[in-house]
Formats: sequence, C-alpha cells, structure tokens
Amino acid sequence: MSRVMVGVKRVVDYAVKVRVASDKKAVDLANVKMSMNPFCEIAVEEAVRLKEAKKASEIIAVSIGPKQAQETLRTALAMGCDRAIHITTDLRTDQELGPKGVAKLLAAVAEKESPDVVIVGKQAIDGDMGCTGSMLAAYMDVPQCTFAAKIDLDAKTVERETDAGTEVVSFPSLPAVFTADLRLNEPRYATLPNIMKAKKKKMDTIAAADLVADLTDGNTVLEVFEPAPRAAGVLVDDVDALVDKLKNEAAVI
Amino acid sequence: MLSRFSPRLASAAVRRFSAAPGAVPGSALPTAFDIFNPTEDHTMFRNMLRQFAEDKVEPQALEHNRKEIFNRDLFTELGGLGVLGITVAEEYGGSAMDATAVVIAMEELSASDPAFCLSYLAHATLFVNNLHLNGTHAQKLKYLPSACDGSKVGGMCMSEPGAGTDVLGMSTTAKQQEGGDWLINGTKMWITNGTLDGETTGDYFLVYARTGEKKTDLSMFIVEKDMPGFSLGQKIENKLGMRASMTAELVFEDVRVPAENLVGTVNGASICMMRNLEIERVALAAMATGIARRCVEEMNKYATARKAFGKPLSDFGQTQKAIGESYADYMAGKSYTYSTSNNLDLASSGNVLDSDGVKLFAAKMSKEVADRAIQVLGGNGYTGEYRVEQMWRDAKLLEIGGGTNEAHHKNMVNWFKKAGHELP
Repeated sequence: MSRVMVGVKRVVDYAVKVRVASDKKAVDLANVKMSMNPFCEIAVEEAVRLKEAKKASEIIAVSIGPKQAQETLRTALAMGCDRAIHITTDLRTDQELGPKGVAKLLAAVAEKESPDVVIVGKQAIDGDMGCTGSMLAAYMDVPQCTFAAKIDLDAKTVERETDAGTEVVSFPSLPAVFTADLRLNEPRYATLPNIMKAKKKKMDTIAAADLVADLTDGNTVLEVFEPAPRAAGVLVDDVDALVDKLKNEAAVI
Repeated sequence: MLSRFSPRLASAAVRRFSAAPGAVPGSALPTAFDIFNPTEDHTMFRNMLRQFAEDKVEPQALEHNRKEIFNRDLFTELGGLGVLGITVAEEYGGSAMDATAVVIAMEELSASDPAFCLSYLAHATLFVNNLHLNGTHAQKLKYLPSACDGSKVGGMCMSEPGAGTDVLGMSTTAKQQEGGDWLINGTKMWITNGTLDGETTGDYFLVYARTGEKKTDLSMFIVEKDMPGFSLGQKIENKLGMRASMTAELVFEDVRVPAENLVGTVNGASICMMRNLEIERVALAAMATGIARRCVEEMNKYATARKAFGKPLSDFGQTQKAIGESYADYMAGKSYTYSTSNNLDLASSGNVLDSDGVKLFAAKMSKEVADRAIQVLGGNGYTGEYRVEQMWRDAKLLEIGGGTNEAHHKNMVNWFKKAGHELP
C-alpha cells in the first residue's frame, strides 16, 4: 500500500470579493475569510478515497504558511488525513513565496517521508501559478501526472483534463506527483465527530528555513491593481455602422 | 483563472454576501476570545455547516416551503454529518458537543431555511437531547443511535388543544396498569415532526402526561409510531410560516406503553421539561440570529446593486438607517445568545432568566430586521424568490413557539421575585 502526501494551502476564500491593499503591493488580508484552496480539497479527498479503497496506508497533509495554516491542516485531518506537517514561514504565501520555493520545501519533506503518491491541487486560487506540482516532480525526479480527472494506481493511468476534453496517459512507476483538477472528485464535508477527532491527530512543525535555505524565485510583485471597469458600450444603427467601427475604430477586421 | 466550475465552486457565483464566520467584517478588534466560536472545534463546525447550508439547504428552501413538505432526505444527510446527535455521548452515536454548538447549528441552518431548522430543533433538542439527559442507559441504547444517524425522526409532545402557556394545566393522562404498563389518553397539539408525510405520525416522541394529583405531577414516556391507539389527528395546514416543517395534532387513545418506556421517575418530569425548555429557548434565539444575519446580508446586497433616482439605495439615509440599525440589533441579539449558551450547562436547570430573556429579545429583533429587509427590497422583498418574506413569516413563530412572549415575561418576573431585584 502507498504512503500518500498531500499539499494543502490556505487561501482567501473563493467567495470573498478581494480588496487591494492601500500600498498597492498586495491584496488586503485583514479580516478576510480564509479557507482551504478548493483544488487542495480535491487532492485531500482523493487521498482519503485511496485510503478507503485500501490503496493507501497513511496520508500526510503538509501546509506552508503562518500559524493559521494549522487551521487548514486541521480541516485536512478532519476530512481524513492521518497526520500533518506545518512548515512555518512569515513570507506571504500568495506572492512572496512562489511555486519554486514551495516545490523545494515539499520536496524536502518528501525526502524525509518518502511518499509513494504525492497529490497537490493543480493551482491555488490566489496566485494562480499552476506550476508547483510540476516543479515538485522535477525536484523529486519522479513522473508527473497533471490536471488529473481520474487516477488509477493499479493500471498506472491517469485521465487528464485538456482543452479539447480528456486524455488517458500512463505513468511508468511510483513515486509520482499528481495534480488534482476539478472533476477528479467532489470533496466531502468534515463531519462533526471527525472534527472532534482531528485535534487528537499529530501535527509536527518545522521552520521553512530549516528545510530550504533559499526560498526566492527572482520574482517581485511591482503593483497590484483592480481590473479596469468596463466602459459602457454604444448602440449602432445598422450593420454598416458596425462594420465601419470594427474596421476603422477598433481596427480588428 | 478557473476554467470550469465544480458544483461547490459554482455555488460561489450565486453565493450571497457573507461575512467571515465569527469575525466582524471590517473590525480591527483583536480576536483574543471569540464568544461566537469559543474553540477551534466550534469554528470548524460552523465553517462546515455554513458550507453545507449554502450547498444543500439553500437550494431546496423555496420549493419545500411553498409545498409545505418536510425534506426527509436532507434531514438524513445531517445525520451523516454528526449534527443530529450534537449533544449526545459518542457511545450512543452522538458528537458530544455543548450548548454553543447547538446554537451554531441553529444559526447556520436558519440563515438558509428556518423551517427545516425548526424540524432539526424538535428532533435534536426536544427529543434527542432530552432523552440523552433524562433516559436510562438501556433507553438511550435503544433509541438514540437511530435518531442520531437520521434513520428515525423524533419530536416532543407538551402542548395540548386546551393547554399552551399554561402547560401544567395539561389533561393528557397516563395510568399504570397491573403488570406495570401505562395507558396514555389525551390529545397533543402543535407537535413539530408530529407527521413527516402528512398521513402517519413521526417516528419517536417524548410525551408528557399527568400521573398524579398535584399540578406538577407529570411523567415522561417514549411513544413510538405504530403503537396501537397512537394516531395522527391532523396535519396542521396553512401555517403563516415554518411551512417546510410539519406540525401535527397527535391523538392517544388507550396507548399501552411498557414500563421501561417511562423516562425518569413517576411524577418527576416537570424538571426535565423545564430544563429542556431552557436550551430550546436559547436555540430559538439562535434561530432568530440566523434569520437576522440573512436579512442584513440580503439588505446590504440589494441596497448596493439596486439604483433609484440614479444612485444605489445604500446612498439613501432611509436605507442606511435600516441597515445600520439592523446590524446593531443583530449583533446585540447574537451576543446575548452566545453569552447565554457559553454559560449554559446542558445538565443544569434554573437558567430561566436568560433563556427566556434572550428568546424574548431575539425573536422580536429578528421579526423587525426581517420587516426592514422587506421594506428595503420593496416589491421584490414581498416575493418568495428574495427569501426575506419567508424570514419575516418564520420569525413570527419565535414569539409564540417554545414559549410565548407573555410566558417569558411571566417567567422572568417570577425569577426576580425569587432571586431578588439586584442584578450582578
């Protein structure tokens, strides 16, 4: 049976209307509802289903971030993970700590824990980078199966989401890194008894600096701003007027 | 960006404006102790149930209330989440949480559907919690696991056609027979979960009946569906609100109940009844809190989007008054509710002053906030789709059910007569 490691990230809740901070350097996080990244929920759910199907022996949830990341880990434990590792950092995980740093940290944990299966979300809904899983596979030097819509460990195949539909690919061997897409599953609610049990599960804490010396990736956020509001449209009298505007004003035809 | 939306994510698109659970939006106050979420368990429970309410309770509310039908399947789902046995020990299938967890459940469910929430209350508090506190180990083993997992639905029978606020004036009797069995005779009225299908009775009931000469000589019995002589008198149709919660008149004609179905001691049920009314009243106050929160959210959402005379409604002083006062009223009611629940030991009694006081305040508060919400939403507020008219109708029940406002006035002043007039 496999040991499974899942990455879970604490992000601004998907329903929150985000505000830009007054210094325009970031999104304002003060008093904003935070929750587990939806794709990470799907990753956790898949890990729990592997365990329920007796294909996984243990699930380790890992999260990187400030102290509050422990709440996200508790949710993962309440959903069915067995233990948790909290990697502490004061870097903002939505922009200061990029995919490269996260991939290095997760690879460092993987080296200690030697999981057979690593599942992460295909992207986090804050930075929308979408490359942590691939970078992690590279650092671990193992196969990667991205945008998974179905994972079959016995057949060593993954159905992947593509722009045109889905495709089935095979992977050579475990360990491997999988990134969860929306249709992989529908995450469960953490039941009340499992919420109570979650606090009894083990949670280790490691400082990010003790795992990886250099967490930078060379990117700097210069400015954060709201999308420009859409200007009001104009009504044209007939098709000729429309064609004229498209040709001469918009210069698109 | 998300290119495709899962069912859960898709709900974000239509999700109503919602503050961070437990946090005061925009407030810079430190959250050293959060009275609304005293422990991390409470926070996680609230987050889970809010998500469940938005995903599952919200979409069914309009239809079930319009048709006056109970959503039995959704109720079973609450069992799977461990919410039906919220205060019950684990050995009987429960989650062993406290009064504040009950209050959180009520607030979160009622923000989407107070009627569904009322059925939940009758089951989880009036039947399950009551039996858990007062029953024997054998009774709990027999009845609680199926009530906690949602395969059976329970209720409690106290009021009668001729005895409402004057509950000790009830005339239903239980007489012990040779061999120990009891015979129950009488009629019970306004029984939530009294029927689940409109044709037969609900599954399990705790029934109060007179067993002695003194006014307080009441005893409590477990009565099950299909016991001979136990029948549905009528489903109460056309209630003003709480329409997705089924209310019934239940008839007992020589219902033979075995001795082991007596809960507690003979003539000892008055204290059980009073104790259970305390958590029920705090729970109903929490329901009012959920109604008010929803109405404030709907008012805010509408006032920002809707324009009149070229500017949003939220720019008008009248609307600002409605929203500002409603939020303050909501927070006052919510704070009173949670301060009461945080100090309520479920096994204790004698908490009448605040269990009655908080319901008295919160019920009226929710009705007034819902009324302002309809006013802010105008014609749209008067129609079902915008949900606040249901909140207004459902809120009115809170001034009657679980104790009328007048009963609370009486109980509170009686409490002062005994305890003195000085407040801490």
